[in-house]
Amino acid sequence: MKNPNRFDRKRLRIDHFIQWFFGSNALLAIIVLALITLFLFREGAEFFPQNLQNLRNYRLAGLEYVGIMRDQIEAHTSLNRSLQDLRLRQSNALLKRQSNALLKLGKTPEQISTALVPFDAFAASFDSSVEELRGLVSEWTDAVSEIKDKAKLREDALQQRQFLLKEGKRAEADAVRVTQIDFAAELAPIRSGFPLYRKASVAFRGKIETLLLQPPPLAARELQPRFEQFQKAARAYLASFPATERQLAKWEQFAPVPWHRAVTSFLFGKEWITNSFWQDWYGVLPLLTGSVLVAAIALAIAVPLGVCAAIYVSELATPLEQQLIKPYIEFISAIPSVVIGFFGVAVLGERLRELTQWQALSWISGFPISERLNAFTAGCLLALMAVPTIFSLAEDAINSVPRAFKEASYALGATRLQTMFRILIPASLSGIVSAVLLGFGRVIGETMVVLLCAGNRIAIPDFTQGLSAVFQPVHTMTGIVAQELGEVPNGTIHYRALFMVGLLLFFLALGINWLAQGIVRRYKISAG
Amino acid sequence: MQTQANLFQHRPSAQWLLETAVAGIIRSATYLVLIAAACIFLTIGIKGAQTVFTSHWPFVNVPFFTEKPSTLYVFEWQGQKREMSDDAFRAFKAAQKVEEIPAETYAHSAGGILPCIVGTVLLVLGSMTIALFLGISSAIYLSEYSRDWWLLRLIRLAIMNLAGVPSIVFGLFGFALFVGYFKWNVSLLAGWFTLAFMVLPVVITSAEEALKAVPQGFREGSLALGATKWQTIRTNVLPYAIPGILTSSILGIARVAGETAPILFTAAYVVLDKYPWQVAKWTDFFFQPVQALPYHIYVVSSKIPQNEYTERMQYGTAFVFLALVLLISLGSVLLRLRLREKLKW
Repeated sequence: MKNPNRFDRKRLRIDHFIQWFFGSNALLAIIVLALITLFLFREGAEFFPQNLQNLRNYRLAGLEYVGIMRDQIEAHTSLNRSLQDLRLRQSNALLKRQSNALLKLGKTPEQISTALVPFDAFAASFDSSVEELRGLVSEWTDAVSEIKDKAKLREDALQQRQFLLKEGKRAEADAVRVTQIDFAAELAPIRSGFPLYRKASVAFRGKIETLLLQPPPLAARELQPRFEQFQKAARAYLASFPATERQLAKWEQFAPVPWHRAVTSFLFGKEWITNSFWQDWYGVLPLLTGSVLVAAIALAIAVPLGVCAAIYVSELATPLEQQLIKPYIEFISAIPSVVIGFFGVAVLGERLRELTQWQALSWISGFPISERLNAFTAGCLLALMAVPTIFSLAEDAINSVPRAFKEASYALGATRLQTMFRILIPASLSGIVSAVLLGFGRVIGETMVVLLCAGNRIAIPDFTQGLSAVFQPVHTMTGIVAQELGEVPNGTIHYRALFMVGLLLFFLALGINWLAQGIVRRYKISAG
Repeated sequence: MQTQANLFQHRPSAQWLLETAVAGIIRSATYLVLIAAACIFLTIGIKGAQTVFTSHWPFVNVPFFTEKPSTLYVFEWQGQKREMSDDAFRAFKAAQKVEEIPAETYAHSAGGILPCIVGTVLLVLGSMTIALFLGISSAIYLSEYSRDWWLLRLIRLAIMNLAGVPSIVFGLFGFALFVGYFKWNVSLLAGWFTLAFMVLPVVITSAEEALKAVPQGFREGSLALGATKWQTIRTNVLPYAIPGILTSSILGIARVAGETAPILFTAAYVVLDKYPWQVAKWTDFFFQPVQALPYHIYVVSSKIPQNEYTERMQYGTAFVFLALVLLISLGSVLLRLRLREKLKW
């Protein structure tokens, strides 16, 4: 429309208006993206100041101080647990001996408990050795919790006052009572109780030392190495006492909490604990590990299957198979995720557990699995969802390899297999890699399947046990948002933390997308 | 004689064995995927059909499609095991003149799923109307008006990235913007816009493809006769592109109907005692929450235990939902095939 028609100005103006209208609609994609970023930030950004206040209160109210002692007792509890485990193993070993014996030389349950009497006595006195210290610490725990609650009340009052001031209600704002808290004075009784702690700690230590000097005879000889392991752990535990004491002595109530701790405690925090009487932690690491673990399992299954299916359909299948398999796989991508999740809950979880109970498979670590819903169940189902994405993109990539490449390879006498693996796949590698990345993006952003099937336990899987980590229940970033957002009040730190998780997820998805596009652009092979 | 016959016989070499073995592995991997999906289809199909269909006239479980979900009561009465829905149980107690009958209760396990079906249909209709309007408008700009400049590249980049945003993030966004900032609360309208923005990239891409498929000559002929750009688009481009746009957009419908995460906090409620059309004012219609099939499946599969009584409702709902979504996708595939034959230039 370079030449405006003199006689048709009006129509022309309408035309411009229409063009402008369509153009502004096209901008919508940018606007929506910007709005998503803006609103996730708007709701989530306040999280960091709140989290910082949370961390500061943790220190000021003395929770951190008492927390050191609580950790010490927690370590004793876990030692105690390993003793319990040892007892269970012993009685199991004795029972087994009984069933193995041809003649009834073995032991009845009563005899087993008599055989374990010395061990039980040892375990019981190990358990009770902590009593004095525990009593002291639980008393202090209550005290600091009270201080924390006071601090929380004060903050709420402050917030209310600010809100009223903003509304312009001066008189009402002044009526809100904000009590001052003297944290040093509040905590003074506990800090001055340090000698008490030291006394209890020394007594505790002495008890364990004397116990360790007289180890009980084990009812099952073969468990001796395990008991030695326990002894070693107990000695290491005792050796950590002076360090704990130094830590307590050195602890400063008014040491500043640097602002970046609010960010790092979110990004690298290993605990996501909410609604706890003690202290709420918002660390995204367990959720991130859960998401990545589930996605890794899904991709480990889906990538070989998807790529194989793409190769099969484009190179090996008969024309009839081609016509049937392609729409069928596209059909799979249409199955709603919540239906797949339901299938996992109703069928697959139980079937997988039955499968792992087979004797023939008992050599695999972690078998038989204890939880029906775990990362592996979710991973299997997500693999099925990722296969269509990977399949169709990989098939496109293989099909777009110029025909001449293949013909040249055959002309040189290469077999079909050689052509496939040395010509076609390397040539379409960039497409396949980006297909895998986009599949990863789809899997990590999937909500309903992981919410229903991943087990929803917020903990970093124990990778020290090797492969069996994949059979542990996990929680994911998408799952936690879907599960908890409906239950938290607006504007609380928990609410904002969920928005931060969403923001992280958003940027993760954008990053994966960007990477996939970059790879395609950069490594595209042209026929020239 | 013997040696001559063997000359043409196939002799398996190591290379041949390897080729066959690898081809076999690839084939079995492909079929593994197909079988795994068939397992899902068959399990839900067989178990769900038992709920949805009956062995006597009219062969369809009518109450399942015409009632609201309600609580199931299982109890023993005069030595017989009986199952009743909430209303029937109350009527039964009144008829027998007993105050209390000890019964096991299972939430959402009796009645039907009519409100969920209605809610899903409403969500799909509204969000697709919005998405089609916005999507086709942007596609017209992208394919007809735009020239290659930085803003256009930016728009394309944004569309591509929008397609990769996880659905739960759309849910969070809708919750923050529509439910919180605009104060629409949990409502049909909030759900419409959230879902519409989610499928926007799909609609834009498919509409642009359909517009590009209209031959350039159509436009040039119209422009040569003195039509303005808009007249050309209106009379010579859109009519030929509309069938293509609609068919590909059906895929968008399948996605809108199938997603749960975006409506979790923007539109869906677990239980509602009114149907969507029972509103006091007509404006209330847009600001009411609805029940939806995917959310109902989520609730019945996660919040109530798995046993023989709850199973019927679970599989029945999953069956109806899966059938609905797959029929929509099948329709899209078939229409696309027909269109390809019909429109050739």
